[in-house]
Amino acid sequence: MNLKGKQTFQTDAQAIWNILMDTNKLAAITPGISKLERIGEDQFNATSDIKIGPVKGSFSGDLFLVDKKEPHAFTLKIKQESKIGNADATVRILINEVEDGNSELSFDGNAKLSGTLARTGQRVLTGVASSLTKQFFRGLEKELDSIRETIPLEEIKEKPVSTKKRQNIFVQFLNWLKGLFKS
Amino acid sequence: MTYIGKSVKRVEDRRFTTGKGQYTDDIKLPNMTYAYILRSPYAHAKINKIDTSAALAMDGVVAVFTGEDVKDVGGVPCGWQVNFKNGDVMKEPKHPLIAHERVLHVGDNVAMIVAESKSIARDAADLVDVDYEELDAAVDAFKAVADGAPQVHPEAPNNMAFDWELGNPKEEVAEALSNAAHITELSFVNQRLVANAMEPRSAIGDYDDAYGRHTLYTSSQNPHLTRLLLSAFVLGLPEHKVRVVAPDVGGGFGSKIFHYTEEALVVYFSHKIGRPIKWTAERSESFITDAHGRDHITKAKMGFDAEGNIVGFQVYTHANMGAYLSTFAPAVPTYLYGTLMQGLYTTPKINVDVTGVFTNTTVVDAYRGAGRPEATYMIERLMDLAALEMGKDPAELRMQNFIPPFDGVNQEGYATQVALQYDSGNYEGVLRKALDLAGYSEMRAQQAATSNGKLVGIGFSTYIEACGIAPSAVVGSLGARAGLFESAQVTVQPTGKVTVYTGSHSHGQGHETTFAQIVADKLGIGIDDVEIVHGDSDRVAFGMGTYGSRSLAVGGSAIVKSVEKVLEKGAKIAAHLLEASPDDLEFGAGKWTVKGSDKSVAFGDVSLTAYVPHNYPEGMEPGLDFSSFYDPANFTYPFGAYIAMVEIDKETGKVDLKRFVAIDDVGNVINPMIVDGQIHGGLAQGIGQALLEGAIYDENGQLINGSYMDYCMPRADDFPSFEIGRQHTPCPHNPLGVKGAGEAGCIGSTPAIVNAVIDALWKAGHQVKDIRMPLTPERVWKAMNN
Repeated sequence: MNLKGKQTFQTDAQAIWNILMDTNKLAAITPGISKLERIGEDQFNATSDIKIGPVKGSFSGDLFLVDKKEPHAFTLKIKQESKIGNADATVRILINEVEDGNSELSFDGNAKLSGTLARTGQRVLTGVASSLTKQFFRGLEKELDSIRETIPLEEIKEKPVSTKKRQNIFVQFLNWLKGLFKS
Repeated sequence: MTYIGKSVKRVEDRRFTTGKGQYTDDIKLPNMTYAYILRSPYAHAKINKIDTSAALAMDGVVAVFTGEDVKDVGGVPCGWQVNFKNGDVMKEPKHPLIAHERVLHVGDNVAMIVAESKSIARDAADLVDVDYEELDAAVDAFKAVADGAPQVHPEAPNNMAFDWELGNPKEEVAEALSNAAHITELSFVNQRLVANAMEPRSAIGDYDDAYGRHTLYTSSQNPHLTRLLLSAFVLGLPEHKVRVVAPDVGGGFGSKIFHYTEEALVVYFSHKIGRPIKWTAERSESFITDAHGRDHITKAKMGFDAEGNIVGFQVYTHANMGAYLSTFAPAVPTYLYGTLMQGLYTTPKINVDVTGVFTNTTVVDAYRGAGRPEATYMIERLMDLAALEMGKDPAELRMQNFIPPFDGVNQEGYATQVALQYDSGNYEGVLRKALDLAGYSEMRAQQAATSNGKLVGIGFSTYIEACGIAPSAVVGSLGARAGLFESAQVTVQPTGKVTVYTGSHSHGQGHETTFAQIVADKLGIGIDDVEIVHGDSDRVAFGMGTYGSRSLAVGGSAIVKSVEKVLEKGAKIAAHLLEASPDDLEFGAGKWTVKGSDKSVAFGDVSLTAYVPHNYPEGMEPGLDFSSFYDPANFTYPFGAYIAMVEIDKETGKVDLKRFVAIDDVGNVINPMIVDGQIHGGLAQGIGQALLEGAIYDENGQLINGSYMDYCMPRADDFPSFEIGRQHTPCPHNPLGVKGAGEAGCIGSTPAIVNAVIDALWKAGHQVKDIRMPLTPERVWKAMNN
C-alpha cells in the first residue's frame, strides 16, 4: 500500500523538526498512539490501537529513524505487529521550506500488510490512512499554534504573514461578490 | 412410471427448512474439546522459533501442537499423478499437517491449540509467539517459472510441478495454422475463485479407547476416500478401525472433495489427548484454506479457413497449483481440461500445452466444473471473437463447425483429437432450440434499436463436458490413483420397505429424492417406502463420493444394478410361490404376475418370504439384499447452448444481464425440478465468475479480498429470470440414460456473458479482444474509454 501526503505549515522547518523529534509531542499528535517510548538513540517502541471498519487491533513494535538530515529529512521505518496481522512500512519524510517562510511537510512510502489486516482491511485502508494523515496534520498544526502562543510578541511580528490566509480572504470576498451578482 | 420424470418435492427439505439438519458443527460429543488453528500471516517465511508456553499456561488450554509434533507422520497425499513431458513423475513435495520450519502460504497451519472452549482456544492462539523471517513470495504462475523467482519447494526447480501436453504434435498444428485464412488469438486470465460453500468446513476427531476405533465427522463430499487417504497414507491407521461420517453438508462445489490437514489433525490428536476435538473454520479461514478454483494464464490461437471452418487450435496454459498439490489438483488443468479442447467442433488439429506451477498461495483444485469451464471459456471466447473478426454470425459459425449429430447406438461415438470418445450428441439441436427460445432475430433487432445511453450485446456459448467420472481403467491410465466406480447396496426389509446405501454423497443435490424415485419406480413401491442412506463409512461399505456430476450417472447406475439383482431373485421366489417358471412372470405395479393370468404375488409377500423362508426355492439363500459396484464404460458428455443479452451503461461501465437463455442436454431427467435447480445454481456461479468474483493476491502473496466485504458473491438481484429448456439425448452406456447436470450451468455461462459484453463494445466501435474477469464497471469503462 502506498502512503503519500503533504501539507504546508506557517513555520520554518526547524520548528516542525523539533516537534517530530519530541517523543511526547509526537505521541500526542499521532492518532491511535497510546504509548511511544524512546528505547535507543533513534529507536522507539510504540503501541497503538487502530480500528478500521471491521478490523480492530492493538499494534506494538519498533520505529526507527534513519538517514536523518536535520531539519529537512528523515526516513521512518515502522515494524508493527498485532494479532490481526503485521505492518511493515518505510516512509521518507521531507520538510522543505517554501515561499514566504512557510514549510511543506511531505511523506512518501510503502506499507506491507499481512494476515487478516491485509485480507479484510486493504480496500478501506487507503481511505483510513488519508483520514489518519489529516488528523496528524491537524494535531501538528495545533502543536505549532501552541508554540506560537508562547513565542514573544515581537518575534511573531517579524514572522511573515501567510499569503495563503490572505488569498483565502480574498477568494472569500470574490465569492461573496459573485453571490451578490447572482441574486 | 410414477416418479421418474416428475418434479417430486425434495424429501430432505423438511429437515433443512425446519432447522433440523445435522451438520458437523451441530454434533456435540461428551467431553469434547475445541481446536483453533494458528495460521501463517505470511505467504512465505522461515519459522525461527515457536514459543507455546504462555498459551499452554492459560486456564482451559488442553494442549498446543506444532509442526514438531507431526513431523514424523505423513503429509496429505495427492490423488492424481501427472507426468512431465519427459516421463518424470510430477514434483510432489510433502504437504505436512502442520508447517515445519517454513510456511508456504498465508493460512498455512502453524499451531493447533486445543482447549475447553472455542473462545479459549482462540484467545490462547494470541499467546503463541512465533518468530518469522519473511521471505520473498512466488505468486503469479507465469512469473513464478522465470529464472530467479522465489522458490516454493527446493525439490521443484523453477516452481514447476509438471509440464504436460496432449493432442496432435505441435508441428502439425503449426502447419495447419500456417495455412489458415484467419487466425484468432487470445491471451487471458481465468481468475482465481473461492468456492464459498455456505457451511464452512468442520471436523471432529473422536478416538474410542475401548474399541481402538477412530471416528471422524467431517463436512466432506467424499467420506470413503477421506477414510482411505487418512488411514492408509497420512496416519497409517487400520482402515477397519476408522469410521468417517459426512452428515448433512452445506454445499461443496468441489472444495469439500479433498482430504484436508485439519481432518487428520483432529483424528491424530484426539487419540493423543484421549478426548474428542472439534474444529470449525471461521469464514475468513475458509477464504485462505479451502482449496480455490481456476487460476489459469492462457494464450490460445485458433485458425480458420476461408469458409470459416476451424483448421487448427494451439493452447498454452500456466496453471497455478498453489503451495502444495491438493487431492485432485494436477488432474484439473490436464485430464479434465486438455481433453475438452475439441469442444463441439470438428477441429482437425489440436495441441494443448500446460505447465503446473507452485506458488505461495492457497492450493487450487477442482471447483464446480473443474477444468471443463476453463476449456469451454477459452474455446467459446475464441468462437465469438473469431465471428466478430471475420464478420460472421456467431451462431452460424458454430453451426458450420459442429460435429454432426450421433446417438452412440446407431452411429458410433465421436473420437476426439484429445483422447476422448463422446457418447452421444446433437449440438445443432440445442443451439437451434436456444435461438428459438431467445427469438434471436428480434433480439438482434432490439440490440440495433437500443438508443437509451446503453450498449447492448449478445453473447453465445456452447459447451460439452466430460462428467459422470469415470471409467476406472481410463482414469487409471490417465494417472488417477483411485478407481472411480460407485457402489450401492439395496436392502429389501422383510416388510417390503427398502433401504439403499449409496457411496455417493449429497451436499445439496437431492440424492435422497432422486435416488428414491428410481428405486420406487423400479420396484413399484411408494417413494416413502424407500430410504436413502449416505455419508457414513460404517453404514455404506464403500463409495467414491460426489463430484464431476457423477452421482446419478455412476451412483444411480449402481443402484439400478442392485435393484435388478433384487428383481431377478425376487422373480425366482415369486415363481416358487406361484408354482410357475420365472420366465413366465412379468413384474409391474409392485407384483409378479403369471403372463396372461390374474395369478400374482406382491413385492411385499416375496420380501417376507425371503426372510421367513418356510416355503422357499430349494438351495436358495434367504434374504433380499444386494450390493453392486458400477464402473461406467465411458464418461458421459452433457452439452448445451447458452445465449446472454447484456446492457452496458456507457457512463459507468456497469453491466446489466437482461436475458439469459439456456438449453441443456443432460440426457434423461429423473427429477426436472432438481435439474432446474442445478442449472440455476450453476448459471449463478458461472455468471458470478464473469461479473463479480475473483480472489486477488498482492505481490507479497497476501489475499487482499478475503472477506465478503471485498469478495463479491452473486445475489438474486444480479440476475434476470433464467429462460431454460432442455433437449434429451440419452446416454447410450448407462442404464438410466442420464448424463449429469451438476456442473453444466457453471461451465457454459461464463463465456456467454463476457462474449456479450465484447459484442456490445464491438458494435459500438471499440474493438476490444478481452476484458479481464470479473467484468467490473471500472474495467468495462476503461475498455470503452481507451
